[in-house]
Amino acid sequence: MSVMIGIEVHCQLNTASKLFCNSSSDHRGKMPNECTCPICLGFPGSKPVVNKRAIELGMMIALALKCKIAEKMFFSRKTYFYPDMSKNYQITQYEAPLAERGLFTLGENKIRIRRVHIEEDPARLIHVGGDITSAKYVLIDYNRSGIPLAEIVTEPDFTAPKEVRAFLEKMVNVLEHLGAYDSGKEATLRVDANISTDGGERVEVKNITGFENVEKALNYEIIRQSSMKRSGNVVVRETRHFDADTNTTKSLRKKEYEEDYGYIFDPDLPSVTISRAWLESVASSMPELPDQRIERFVRQYSIDEYTAMVIVYSDKRLADFFEECCARYNKPPTVSNWIVNYLLKSLNWRSERISQSKARPETFVELLQLIDEGKITDRFAKELIKEYVDTGISPRTLAQKEIVALSEKDLDEIIVKVLQANANAVEEYRNGKKESLQFLIGKVLSETRKQGNPKKIKDLIVKLMPR
Amino acid sequence: MVSLIQSLVKLHLERLAAEDVKLDDFAPRVMEKARAIQQKYSPFITLDENLGSTNRNAQKLPFSVKDNICTNGLRTTAGSRILENYIPPFDATCVRQVKSAGGFVIGKTAMDEFGFGTFSTNCAYGAPKNPIDIQRVCGGSSGGAACVTAAADFPHIAIAQSTGGSITAPAAFTGTVGLTPTYGRVSRWGLIDYANSMDKIGVIGRCTYDAAFGFSLIAGHDPLDATSLNAPKLDYTKVLEKDIRHLRIGVPSEYFNADGVDPQVKKLVWDKITSLERFGATYEEISLPSTKYATAAYYLIALSEASTNLAKFCGLRYGIQGETEGNYENYFSSIRERGFGEEAKRRIVLGTYARMSGYRDAYYIKALKVRAKIIGEFRKAFDRVGAIATPSMPIFAPRFDEVAGLTPVQQYAMDIMTTAPNLAGLPTVSVPAGESGGLPAGVQFIGDYENEGTLLQLAAACEV
Repeated sequence: MSVMIGIEVHCQLNTASKLFCNSSSDHRGKMPNECTCPICLGFPGSKPVVNKRAIELGMMIALALKCKIAEKMFFSRKTYFYPDMSKNYQITQYEAPLAERGLFTLGENKIRIRRVHIEEDPARLIHVGGDITSAKYVLIDYNRSGIPLAEIVTEPDFTAPKEVRAFLEKMVNVLEHLGAYDSGKEATLRVDANISTDGGERVEVKNITGFENVEKALNYEIIRQSSMKRSGNVVVRETRHFDADTNTTKSLRKKEYEEDYGYIFDPDLPSVTISRAWLESVASSMPELPDQRIERFVRQYSIDEYTAMVIVYSDKRLADFFEECCARYNKPPTVSNWIVNYLLKSLNWRSERISQSKARPETFVELLQLIDEGKITDRFAKELIKEYVDTGISPRTLAQKEIVALSEKDLDEIIVKVLQANANAVEEYRNGKKESLQFLIGKVLSETRKQGNPKKIKDLIVKLMPR
Repeated sequence: MVSLIQSLVKLHLERLAAEDVKLDDFAPRVMEKARAIQQKYSPFITLDENLGSTNRNAQKLPFSVKDNICTNGLRTTAGSRILENYIPPFDATCVRQVKSAGGFVIGKTAMDEFGFGTFSTNCAYGAPKNPIDIQRVCGGSSGGAACVTAAADFPHIAIAQSTGGSITAPAAFTGTVGLTPTYGRVSRWGLIDYANSMDKIGVIGRCTYDAAFGFSLIAGHDPLDATSLNAPKLDYTKVLEKDIRHLRIGVPSEYFNADGVDPQVKKLVWDKITSLERFGATYEEISLPSTKYATAAYYLIALSEASTNLAKFCGLRYGIQGETEGNYENYFSSIRERGFGEEAKRRIVLGTYARMSGYRDAYYIKALKVRAKIIGEFRKAFDRVGAIATPSMPIFAPRFDEVAGLTPVQQYAMDIMTTAPNLAGLPTVSVPAGESGGLPAGVQFIGDYENEGTLLQLAAACEV
């Protein structure tokens, strides 16, 4: 079966204020409707004024996606009646978007970008006592109303749901590197996906959040559409809603054709001219993109390309974390090794991203310092890291009680005990069998629960051995 | 040039400066007079009944404000039933400026619902009557503004608004002076939109001095309106002192020879233009051939924009409330059915149609192209002339029964003098050109962008 998928990604842009007013676009910890003003509430007589920073972030995204950026762009009104829009029209872009015709490389595949435009986010509807089709009533939170969105539209170049997921993961990484999107801000990334199978009508699944859900929704659609065809039914052009609880899609309404929104140019907003000088200054202030960063990591930190890719692609914040650790602990290969092999494992086990984790560069490097100082063994550090990621307590503090417990005197006692218990091995060592010493060191370490510097233990064993 | 018409505003300001006038009971006395005017001509939708009780010292000069301009705490309906309970939480920029200059708002003036009309007869709260003859309309849509201005026997300036001629028409019909500024010269912040790309806040005064004084207060850049011009603030009453020697006036034949222009209006306007030769102005005939498309283009663009602007009035956040039955679409429809008047519904339907798929290119987009062509023609004309003169309206103020007999298309056709300059965003002034049978005719001067000064000088010359 042939599958064609194209997506629209709506990404909340990381600006301090909303797209057309001064209300804060960061509503973490705020009451519903606290971050609002007459403009984002659409009061009669209020007028929008565009936030230049939102356009600049949009320009960076367009540059990163190798799009052609317009010399002049307009905002348009998309009119439809829906309770999430106080004005009953959304200010978006239609015939004169910010940028068009880009390309995004995804492994072997090249995904064509149709356009990138800027628009305002509608309010958030909270369905009380049910879902979108069964709720008793609906509450409206306008904190989200007017937050700038970049809409990235691809051509229908995906042939499988997993490609879409890979695209989204890589795209978010790019957006975060640009500073255009901040996942830590509870900013959301919503996806509308258009899917058609075997050249049939295209079905739009709207408003999916979470990459995993995008993949699930598309997989469900493929099965639904093919089983409809098998049973002799026709797939109709329509809009569907993804239900994350049941992992299914439900029909919402028959697809309105795009032109039915009756677009007009928004007469409150003059056209925005993107001069060469402006474009150049934005381009020169572009933060480093993931691929550039990987190259730099290999060059600057002498780590291998694969490790650099794992760090950079997994999460922009993880790459930041790595660099901050390197600034405090000057053995980058050791840092990268511990991040990729142990820290990531602990994070994954907790289903956490580094930005949500209690791990901090200044405390993480203590772990590596403790090893160097001979205070703990590699093996103990690998156990300690789990407790560290769980609690965020500094490794030095975590190791402290063990280190204190292992005062010279305590260690002496343990060694004497081990030597007494293993008289045979002592005898063998005396007779010239060097391996027996390793055996004794192992016994001591298992008594100390892997703490203590093996070299020091070895010296002590030799010293305390009965003559 | 010194006007022969006595300005009550000027007199009042001079007496204030000389401390000859006591303000203690000024506002209450003005309100009493305003109530008497309201009894006779119904120019107000809302009178501010609280006036006189607070902030006494600041209450120096009375203003009326068209009811589509937001006034903090004072009901603002835009002439529509759907906003009958709307009390704005902020002042429009122009209202804030008037207040900070010592002005006070006596009330909100009647208008065609949302500005949808040429005669102030599409009124949800009753039509204002023309003080010259109460059988006749005031003109629209700023009919209440012109009505108070013509009737007031106290110093007063009306803050009015035009989209396609809504200041010029009532000024002409009531024998007052109406200034429609360059698009963007006065901030639109706080104006309840009709067609945002053409809406302009302006003033109506008893004479040119009043219009110039009022305009000086409200003109200027405003960061709250992205379409606001960054032009310097000027005292336009000083500009009036300059004469119009060597000014070339263009007289476009298309405006005088259009269908339906009353010969008496034509004569009065021509006489006024030729009388300006006394002051050293010259005139020449010019041609603006695209004028014949202006009214069609105006209505297509204005109604396309209006139909989106009015979408918010659906009973959810804005507009009257009602019983919630059925889904949100049923609810919105029931509120809009009940709240909007007939003309508003007509314009919403027309505007929605003009921007719908399949029609959009032929109507909305084509109209935008016509607009660009009209702008080009005006620009070319202003290379040759300093101002353009036309009749303000093709007719004298009609009686209410005459207006009632007109079809919507006949009504729209009355806007032939005003739609082209409004489409182009050019400033205009309408000033009395004389009377016939007791009814005034107006001459309209169209100026180049940001050249309100020349228009006010011409208007002042017409008063001598």
